[in-house]
Amino acid sequence: MASLLQPNRVVYLVCGEKKIRSPLSQLYFCRYCSELRSLECVSHEVDSHYCPSCLENMPSAEAKLKKNRCANCFDCPCCMHTLSTRATNIPAPLPDDPTKTAMKKAYYLACGFCRWTSRDVGMADKSVEIIYQEGQPDRVLVFFHVTQEKYGLGTRLQRQRSGAPISSLAGLSLKEGEDQKEINIEPAQALDEVEPLPEDCYTRPISLPEVTTLRQRLLQPDFQPAGASQLHPKHKHLLMKRSLRCRKCEHNLSKPEFNPTSIKFKIQLVAVSYIPEVRIMSIPNLRYMKESQVLLTLTNPVETITHVTLVACEEGDSDDINSTAKVIVPTKELVLAGKDAAAEYDELAEPQDFQDDPDVVAFRKSNKIGFFIKVIPQKEEDEDVTVSFKIRHDFRNLAAPIRPSEESAEAVPEAIWLTHHVELSLGPLAN
Amino acid sequence: VRLARQLLWQRVKIAAGAVVCVESEIRGDVTIGARTVVHPKARIIAEAGPIVIGEGNLIEEQALIINSYPENIMPDSEGVEPKTMTIGINNVFEVGCVSQALKIGDNNVIESKADVGRNVILTSGCIIGAFCQVNTCEVIPENTVIYGSGCMRRVQTERPQPQTLQLDFLMKILPNYHHLKKTVKASQNTKN
Repeated sequence: MASLLQPNRVVYLVCGEKKIRSPLSQLYFCRYCSELRSLECVSHEVDSHYCPSCLENMPSAEAKLKKNRCANCFDCPCCMHTLSTRATNIPAPLPDDPTKTAMKKAYYLACGFCRWTSRDVGMADKSVEIIYQEGQPDRVLVFFHVTQEKYGLGTRLQRQRSGAPISSLAGLSLKEGEDQKEINIEPAQALDEVEPLPEDCYTRPISLPEVTTLRQRLLQPDFQPAGASQLHPKHKHLLMKRSLRCRKCEHNLSKPEFNPTSIKFKIQLVAVSYIPEVRIMSIPNLRYMKESQVLLTLTNPVETITHVTLVACEEGDSDDINSTAKVIVPTKELVLAGKDAAAEYDELAEPQDFQDDPDVVAFRKSNKIGFFIKVIPQKEEDEDVTVSFKIRHDFRNLAAPIRPSEESAEAVPEAIWLTHHVELSLGPLAN
Repeated sequence: VRLARQLLWQRVKIAAGAVVCVESEIRGDVTIGARTVVHPKARIIAEAGPIVIGEGNLIEEQALIINSYPENIMPDSEGVEPKTMTIGINNVFEVGCVSQALKIGDNNVIESKADVGRNVILTSGCIIGAFCQVNTCEVIPENTVIYGSGCMRRVQTERPQPQTLQLDFLMKILPNYHHLKKTVKASQNTKN
C-alpha cells in the first residue's frame, strides 16, 4: 500500500502567476503573505558554488573566472563519471646519476566505471599528483563576449525579476584599464567548390568503438571530436546552492548554509511545517455511481491546536477542473492536537479528550487523525478517480510582530483562516 | 547412489597451489589450476559437462560458474554430448556474478552481478561491467569493456592487470580463517 503514499496522489493548488498543482512536500509557504508558493512563483538566486566531488567552495568571482569548473576534478569524457587519479611505479633515471634507475611514481587519470584512462588519448603520465589541464583557448567564450558587445549587454544589469532571462554573462568584464575592443567576426562566405569526400568513404570499414556518441561529442562544444582518441577529459562542472525569495514581499523562503558539506538550511519556510497535510490511507473498491468510503489522514505540523473544516467544491468552481467524482466531506469541524515532540516520553500526560464522532473520525494519534470521506465516481472511463475539496484551517502567524494589547497580559497572535484547494487521485475503478 | 556420488566427488581435481575454501560448493567434474582462489559460498557446478579452470583465477563469494544444459534440452535425452567449459588464467569473477560462457580466455574481469550467457565467448582482456547481462551469441573481441545500463561498449588500449597482489594476500590470509578443500587421490575409494 505504499503507492498510496506517493507524493503525486495529493496535490495542493497554488494561486500565483500561474495556477500550479503540486504536492505539499514541494511547496513553500510565505508566512508574511500567508500564501503557498511553488518553485515557479519564487525567484531563484545563486548562493554559492561548489564542486560535487571534492566539495570545495568557490566564490562566484573565482567560479566565473574558471568557467564554472573545478580545478582539481575531472570528468570522464566517455561516461561522464568522476575520474580518479592512479599511480604506477616506473623506473626513471636519477637526476644525479643517469646510469642508475629508481622507481618514480607516475600519475594518470582513470575512470572506475568504463575503464577509460588518460593514456587512451595519449596524455603522458605526470609526476605531479594533481594533473592540471593546460588552458585551451575557449572559442565559445569569445563568441559570447562579442555578441554581448553587439547587443548592448555589456554593463551589469540590476537584479532582474523572474520572467526576464538573467544574463549570466552580464557580469563578465575585462580587467580595468583595458579598452573594450570590438572584435569583428567576418561573416561566413558561401563557396561553390567544396572539398570532395575521400575516395574510400564508401569502402572503408567503420570502426564503431572509435566513433564518439553525440552526447560525448556535444559535451565538448568547442572541439566536438568525432574520434574517441581525441576525447580529452574535462574539468568537472560546479554545482550551486540556491536561495528562494518570494516575489511579492521579497522575504527569503529558503536559504541554505554556506558550507557545501552541510545540508541544513538557515531559513526553511517549507509548506509541510505550516499547512496540515492530507494523505490517503486506504481506498476500498470504487464502483461507478456507488458510494464508497475512503480513509484519509490529516496531520498537524504546528504545536498549537488547529481547527480544520472541509468544504466540498461548489458547482462551477473555476479551480475544480480535474475531479471525476462527487465527494461528501464531513461537515463538522475537525480538531487536531498540536505536535508535541516530548509526548512519547511523558508518561503522566493525560490523553486529551476530544469528542470524536466515530462516523467521521476513524482514529486519533497525537497530532494525526484519520477521517472518512464518501466518494461517488461519476465517470466510467479508465482514468483515475479524482476528487477535490477545499480545506480551511486556522493559522497563527508567529513571525508577525505582536501588538501589545492593553487588556490581556499574554499576547497571543491572532488566528487567520486560510483556505487551500486539494485534489486527490484515488486510482482506477475496480472491476 | 552413494557410490556414484563418491565417484563424482573424486572427480574434483584441485591443483597443489590452489586455495579452495570448504564452504564453496563444487559439483561435478571440475579441475582447478594452481594459484586459483575460490572464496567461500562460491559455486562451481558442472552439470552438463566438465569445467576446467586455469591458474591464477579469483572467484569471489556467491559467484556462480555453471555448465548447465541449454534450456530446451532435457538432461536425459540422447545424443547430447557433454561440452567442456574452459576458463583461462588470471580471470576475476567478482561477487555475485553468473557465468555460463563455455569458453573464457585470459585476464578477463566479470564484475559484480553480471550475467554471461552460454553462447558468449570471452577472448582476452574483456571486462563485463557490473549488472550487465550479456546473452548474445557472439565472440567478444579482445580488450572490450561492456558497461552501463545499456551495455555500452568500448575498446580499451590495455588489458586489465592480473590481480597478483590480491591473490597473494588471499592465499596467505584465507587459510587462517577457513578450512581448505584438498583433492582426493584417485586411488582411494573411501568416503572423504
